[in-house]
Amino acid sequence: MIHDFGIVWSERALLLSGLANTAILSTLSAAAALLLGFVVTPALMSKRPAVSGSARLFVDGMRCVPFLLFAYIVYYGFPSFGIRLDNWTAGLAALTIYNAAYMAEILRGAWAVQPREPIEAGIAFGFSEIRLFRRIILPPLLLSAGPVIGNQMIQIIKDSAFLTIIALPELTHAASSIQSRHYVPFAAFITAVFLYWGLCLIIEAGVSSIGRVAEARR
Amino acid sequence: MNGGDIAAIFQGAIVTVTLSLIGILIGLPIGLGLALLRWANLPFAAKVVTLYVSILRATPLVTLLLLLFFALPNIGVPINPISAAILALVMNTSAFNCEVWRSALMNFPRDQYEAAQSVGMRAGQRFRRIVLPQIVRVSLPGLVNEMSLLIKVTPVLAVVGVVDITRAAVRIGAQTYEPLPPFLVAVALYAPIVFALVSLQRWIERRQIAAEAVA
Amino acid sequence: MAEASKVLDVAGVSKRFGDIEVLSDVSFQVDKGETICVLGPSGSGKSTLLRCINWLERPDAGQIYLNGERVGINNAGIVMGDRELSKIRTHIGMVFQHFALWPHLTVLQNLMEAPVQVQRRPKAEVRDEALALLAKVGLGDKRDAFPAKLSGGQKQRVGIARALAMRPDLLLFDEPTSALDPELVGEVLVVMRDLAREGMTMVIVTHEMAFARDAATRVLLLDRGRVVETGSPDKFFSSPDTERARQFLQRYAGDIANGRR
Repeated sequence: MIHDFGIVWSERALLLSGLANTAILSTLSAAAALLLGFVVTPALMSKRPAVSGSARLFVDGMRCVPFLLFAYIVYYGFPSFGIRLDNWTAGLAALTIYNAAYMAEILRGAWAVQPREPIEAGIAFGFSEIRLFRRIILPPLLLSAGPVIGNQMIQIIKDSAFLTIIALPELTHAASSIQSRHYVPFAAFITAVFLYWGLCLIIEAGVSSIGRVAEARR
Repeated sequence: MNGGDIAAIFQGAIVTVTLSLIGILIGLPIGLGLALLRWANLPFAAKVVTLYVSILRATPLVTLLLLLFFALPNIGVPINPISAAILALVMNTSAFNCEVWRSALMNFPRDQYEAAQSVGMRAGQRFRRIVLPQIVRVSLPGLVNEMSLLIKVTPVLAVVGVVDITRAAVRIGAQTYEPLPPFLVAVALYAPIVFALVSLQRWIERRQIAAEAVA
Repeated sequence: MAEASKVLDVAGVSKRFGDIEVLSDVSFQVDKGETICVLGPSGSGKSTLLRCINWLERPDAGQIYLNGERVGINNAGIVMGDRELSKIRTHIGMVFQHFALWPHLTVLQNLMEAPVQVQRRPKAEVRDEALALLAKVGLGDKRDAFPAKLSGGQKQRVGIARALAMRPDLLLFDEPTSALDPELVGEVLVVMRDLAREGMTMVIVTHEMAFARDAATRVLLLDRGRVVETGSPDKFFSSPDTERARQFLQRYAGDIANGRR
């Protein structure tokens, strides 16, 4: 067994590059999904039925489709429309679009419980448009939604592992590659499991500190 | 894509639903057991459960499945794709269920438990007649949510060769060189199942809110 | 064009919500240094009137002038956009019933936020003034606290200081003590009374009759959206002209006599 871990250690470059890919992919798509969420949420709450209906269809649709299937559709299905994507772009696109729906729901929920009066005070004091959004609306919203967004990030990291099916060189793919070449399945995959766990603990630590910042202001 | 192909996908659906049900039915009581172990605060067991749940909630299902499928034979435990799939599903869902049950247990009003003690109920009775019915009620939305999440991760079974909806669709796409139509059929099969569970969850939540409003 | 000495000129303002006419042809003027108390039963439209002055609510009819400048409609006769309204609002301070402090900022940051971000005044100058205002309302030691940790009376005093930090021409108070526990009301009224004495131009919607009697230069009674009576507090509270005012006072007379209001 120790011998097996020794082999994994000798392949650490591959493993670490897989870890880096997972981390980068997840971070990029989480940020992009959150930004997209900021576009979809107002659409969800729009008074025009065409707009809110389409947004609702998108959000409910993504929640009813398994991510792995959606990734397959993006990677294999898009070429049918003439859009050829490499696996990185397809993976990033699938992760982003899929999770934008969840981020939109999260933001919608956080906005619904946001007290309106401090925002009205902002308007009364002359804040408008971007300044109102950036300095008065956004900070309390993010503080309140922080933990839920953190959970979604963990979900994104786990979803990224599905992308091994389209040969994206992330962590699970790296572990698979090591095990298939050296026949060290336990050592390879257990190491991957602990690396995922580590990523998760980092995010949970981040969420805790946001929680503390929010608590001081509550 | 012809009728035979669609039939193949429907057969995959049977596999998906069957394995999901098995995973759900086994995962529910195991999750409850784990939650009780932590709640009862048995010194060693509680720590093990905490660690187990934390790791399993952070582990992607595909990684877990590959680990079980390849590593178990390596240490002398033979396993076929279906068993590995069920084991992975159960381990995964029990960890998430544990958290749902645990939250209900932690928020259980202490005075109800003490009232049961004061009328002389024994531990087993207290649990069966007072605690369990109420935590089932409280946990229901979270558990149904977890069921819909479980269905959504079953495509991972395709990775070890189990012919569920997704693998059937992939196969057909590979044969016909037209991947999109079978994928769309697959979506059309998953979506109603998940949607039914999500609607069930919303209905349960609405009923509970209404019941609380009256009380 | 209204007279230059009038800080606020409200002319024929009407507003309806759905079928209900909340304000009907309300007119009044405020000179510099005056303290106007707007009184009336619940549902009389007092808060709506206040919120029309800075266009948080949009009047359906009528005109509003701040220092001779029209609020809400620009010179071309077109409804003002956010940016134009924003400029005018920086001259009108508002104190809210539920304090409306910004929860993610400390007390000092709450005071400095609008002067720095909206009025673009230099930070050092704003900070000095903010600290002085906090001392003035008796909360100098709370400058780094977050609003959530303050009592209601403290929050409202911060609210008043925050409005003052904008150096407004006019201060609007929307039932500033209605959300406070009784024993906390006094500390806020003291601050408001001092402001009135120092010559701040104020329009206050309130239920505090004793305060109105002491601190107001003029009193306005609103009932079902109309101005029923207006006059000096002495006259209004002792011998009002209208029957409606008499009825209103009868309901509160006991409260005034017992010192409860």
